[in-house]
Formats: sequence, structure tokens, C-alpha cells
Amino acid sequence: MLAIIKKEFKSYFLSPIGYIYIGIFLLMCSIFFYLDIFTYMSTDFTYMFGSASTVLTFIVPLITMRMFSEERKNGTEQLLLTSPRSVTSIVLGKFIAAALVVLISIVATLIYFAILCYFGNPQVGKSLVALLGFGLLSLAYVSFGMFASSITENQIIAAVISIAFFMLSWFLPGFSSSFVNFSLMDAFYMSFINGAISIQNLVLLLSFTILFIIFTIMVIQRRKSVK
Amino acid sequence: MIQVKNVTKKYGNFLAVNDISFEVKDNEIVGFLGPNGAGKSTTMNMITGYIEPTSGRILVNGKEISKEPNKVKKQIGYMPENIPLYQDLTVREFINYMADLKFVKRKEKKEQVEKVLEQTGLIDVQKRTIKKLSRGYKQRVSLAGALIGNPEVLILDEPTVGLDPKQITEIRALIKKLGKKHTVILSSHILSEVSQICEKVIIINKGNILAVDTPEHLEEEFKEENSIHITVEDKENKIENVCEKIKELKSIKLLKENPDNTKQYALIANSNVDLRKEVFDIFPKNNISILELKKTEVTLEDAFLKLINEKELKEKKEKEEKEKSKREEELNNMTKEERKQAIKQDKKDKKEEFNKKWEENRKKEKEFKEEMKQQKKKEKINKKTSKKENKKGGKK
Repeated sequence: MLAIIKKEFKSYFLSPIGYIYIGIFLLMCSIFFYLDIFTYMSTDFTYMFGSASTVLTFIVPLITMRMFSEERKNGTEQLLLTSPRSVTSIVLGKFIAAALVVLISIVATLIYFAILCYFGNPQVGKSLVALLGFGLLSLAYVSFGMFASSITENQIIAAVISIAFFMLSWFLPGFSSSFVNFSLMDAFYMSFINGAISIQNLVLLLSFTILFIIFTIMVIQRRKSVK
Repeated sequence: MIQVKNVTKKYGNFLAVNDISFEVKDNEIVGFLGPNGAGKSTTMNMITGYIEPTSGRILVNGKEISKEPNKVKKQIGYMPENIPLYQDLTVREFINYMADLKFVKRKEKKEQVEKVLEQTGLIDVQKRTIKKLSRGYKQRVSLAGALIGNPEVLILDEPTVGLDPKQITEIRALIKKLGKKHTVILSSHILSEVSQICEKVIIINKGNILAVDTPEHLEEEFKEENSIHITVEDKENKIENVCEKIKELKSIKLLKENPDNTKQYALIANSNVDLRKEVFDIFPKNNISILELKKTEVTLEDAFLKLINEKELKEKKEKEEKEKSKREEELNNMTKEERKQAIKQDKKDKKEEFNKKWEENRKKEKEFKEEMKQQKKKEKINKKTSKKENKKGGKK
């Protein structure tokens, strides 16, 4: 699995995608840092994540859309699937590599936290909980993006499916309150951002992530017999 | 080594591979032959575990791929058809990655990579990005990827497609060399290649195995007749008389008269008789000089075409017969009046078809006639003008 993680992680930075992702994410974070925190003279670090989570909806598919679609289109999936590696380790390897890229960008936001610490006294606990929630939310997004990528060989379609799903999960609670308990965005908004770790939302995010990793494994496994 | 037992693969309703069984022994080079879409790649993909057969079993070294996939895959090096490669990696990085994927131990990795690079002639380009390589080099990289990890079985899907002649001979020599230590299965639709490299040929068409044999056997089997082609200079036209003297000769056929007064004949003999010596003896004695003498040989190509055509003809006949019997059944099931009408309809259809053809033919004839007319007109005009010119010239 380590070999796959290494190669996948490296290939994010061989093509410009990795840089573009981290670049856009940090750029948007800077803007939100200025608009949400700086202009209000606030020291609440969590404000930034409230806005940044909407950006995730549009940029996580940037990273995930190529995960399986590209391999399928170029035929390199043949190399992977005929190698003595199990489908599980291939999928997990790819997931971890993508998750690493996302997590690196999140860890980089600690720079803003350091700035806040220098000029004021932000609440450390609340900020870290928000950071954790944000990380979990992005892992769930990566997991679904990977699934979308595994069901089509067209990268654009994979990206559109992911964005559509993320937006649904974002806006559906606005239409009917019965969706509140199933919305990823709300799971983050309702608890983590206020500095509270709620078991319900933690379980929702984690189980969603694991579920779609398993779905991806099933899709790849199944294609062997259908193909 | 490799046993394929009653393997069938269906894509929806399409039967890609139909109940095939064969066996490949240790250190054997086997060639898969067949036209496009015959099921070569599908079979190879199934042996490598990329796709699963609809039914049947595949054993590699006694282990079933569907039950112990990772153990079996470790023994197989696969070079897929469309040379899929990670375009962003350099050659060395790619081969390193393939080595990692195949669990090559860290201590042996460097040595093995070095060896494979040398075998496939990639040392000069090892630091270049794969994207920027030419097709021939990409093919070698793909082959190198299959070779790394020293697998016991090599499966190469059309390894020489798209290479230049020099590269082709190089790769062929390499495969032959590899065949001494590995079991090799390769597919191709180039027959000369297969007959050069392989010890055994599996001819496959439309998902069915038509023949499994050595190339030599196949050639022998499809030899139609024992004949020699001969080009002679025969000023006195005695050849037929002379030929009557040769006992084993069955018949003689004039193939072609060359402009330099030489003639080419085909001499057909009873089977298993070599005529060449006798012909060489007798002909010069009778003032017939031999310019060329050649034994006709059946190539693998002929055998291949014959096998495939035979099968297709059979299928066609069967189909036609089926349609006929179907139609008859339909007629039998109808009432009298319906039958009458149906027969009338059939006749009508046939008539219409005939009329259509006839009209087409007439049209063609008309067109042809008009063309001829126009040509004649042109010729007349040409003649007139040339005559006029002649007259003018004469006056001057």
C-alpha cells in the first residue's frame, strides 16, 4: 500500500493539480481570513472555516476526479489490477494519498492561527475542534469524490457528480428539516464549528467516509466480472 | 504451467470467448493467432486476472486465479495491448513503481531494475519522461514493466505492433531469449512473426479455438498438392513430350508466357515425391534450359486463411439452411389461404428484386453506351482536326 500512496502522492505534484488545489484553497482562506476575522477585529478562528467549507465543495472534486477515471481512460488500471495487490489496498492507497494532499492544505491554515495568536488571544480548544471537524468533512468529501471517479471514465462527469452531490447535501436541509441529520455540511456547521464534538455528527462523517471507500472497492471489484 | 479449462466470456449477449480449453507447458512460447476481435486479448485478460471469465477455470502452476489472485498475479508479467503507462513518470520511476507493486524486495530492486533496463535497451532514456518517448520506446517500457520481478509467465499482447523493422527483430530476439527461462504467451496477427518465434500456435477466431499445433505441422497439414514452379526456355516446344517420360508427374500447367520467350509451368506430382532432381536431369538433355525452379510451399498464412474461411463457409451454410427450414415451418403452420398469400408474397418479392437488378443493369448499359458514343464523337472530331491540319500542312 505504501508504494501506491507514495506514487499517487507524488503524481499530484508532478501535474499541477496538487499545487493548484493547495493554492486556491489557501488563497480563498486568506480572503475569508481578511473578510470574516480581520475586518471584524475578531479573534475567533472558526469564522474562517465557516466560509472555507463552501469552497471545499468546488475544489475537492479537482483532486478526486482523476483518481480512477484517468487510470481507466488511459488503461493504466490494467497495470494496477493485474499486479499482486488487492483492490482494497489500491483503493485505500489512493484515498490516503488524496487525503494527505487535502490535510496538508488544512494544516497550512495554522499559519493564520499563528497570526491570531500573535495579535490576540484566540480560544485554542474551540479552534482545534473546528479544525478537526473541517478535516473530517474534507475526508468525507474525498471519499465521495473517489467513488464518483470510480464509476465513470470521464473526469468531468466525475467532478460534476461530486459537486452536485455536495451542493445537494449543502442545500437540502433548507428545503426540509428532515434532511438535517444527513447533511455533511450541517454535521460540520451544527457542532464542530462551535467547538463541540457531537458523537452523532462525528459518527455521521466517519461512517460516510468509510461507506464510500467500501462502495469504491465494490465498484472496482465488480467491474472485473462485468467488463 | 497454465491450464485453461472450458472458459467462456460473455459481454451481455455477445460471446467473446466460447468454451475454450488449452494448456501451456513450462518454458514454452505459445502464439495466439487470430483476426481482429477474435478473442485474443479477452483470453489474455482473463489469464492475468484483469477480467473474470463468465464460466470455466484458469490454473497457473496449479493455482486458480479466482481463488488466490495475489499469489497467481505475482507469477505473471503482463504487457497489455494499448501500452498503458503513467505518462508523467520517468522511465526509471515507472519501472521502480512496477517493481514496488510486484513486491520486489528492496535489496534486489536496484539490481533488477538495472537488469531489465539493459535487457530492453532503455538505459539511454531512463531519465526521460514517458510522455516524451516515441512509440517504440514506450513499447519497450511496457515490456520492461512486464519483465520486472522476474515472473515465471510472460503474457505479451501484440508486443511488436507499431515498431520499426529493426526494433521488431530486436524485440523478437529478446522474446526468444526470454522463452528459455520463462513461459511466454504472445498474441499477434502477423503470421510470419508467430511462425518465427513460437513453438506452438493457437489459432482462434470468433471466440473458438480452430487449431492448436506447431507451425510446421500446420503448414504440412494444409499443403494442397505437391507441385513445383519452373521457368524454362524451350525453343522447340518439346516440354510436353519430355514430361510424359517422367512417371511420377501427374499434370503440367502453363502459368505464364514471359516476353523474353521463356515460359513458366507448374508441375504437379503425386504426393511425397520430389521431382526436382529428375527435372534437373532430363530437361537439359532435351535442349530445355531451366532458368528457375522452385518448390511451392504452404505458409502459415495459407493454413490460417483456410481454417478461418472453412469455418465461415460452414456457418453461412448452416445459417441459410436454418432460414429455409424456419420459413417452411412458418408455411406449414399457416392455413391454406394464408399459405397461398405468403407464397404469392414471396414470389412478388423475388420478382421485385429481379426487376430492380434488371433495371440497374439496363441503366449501367445505357451509361456505358452513352460513354462510348461520346468517345466516338471525340475521336471523330480529333480525326477531322488532324486531317485539316494535315491538309494545311500539305498546302504549305
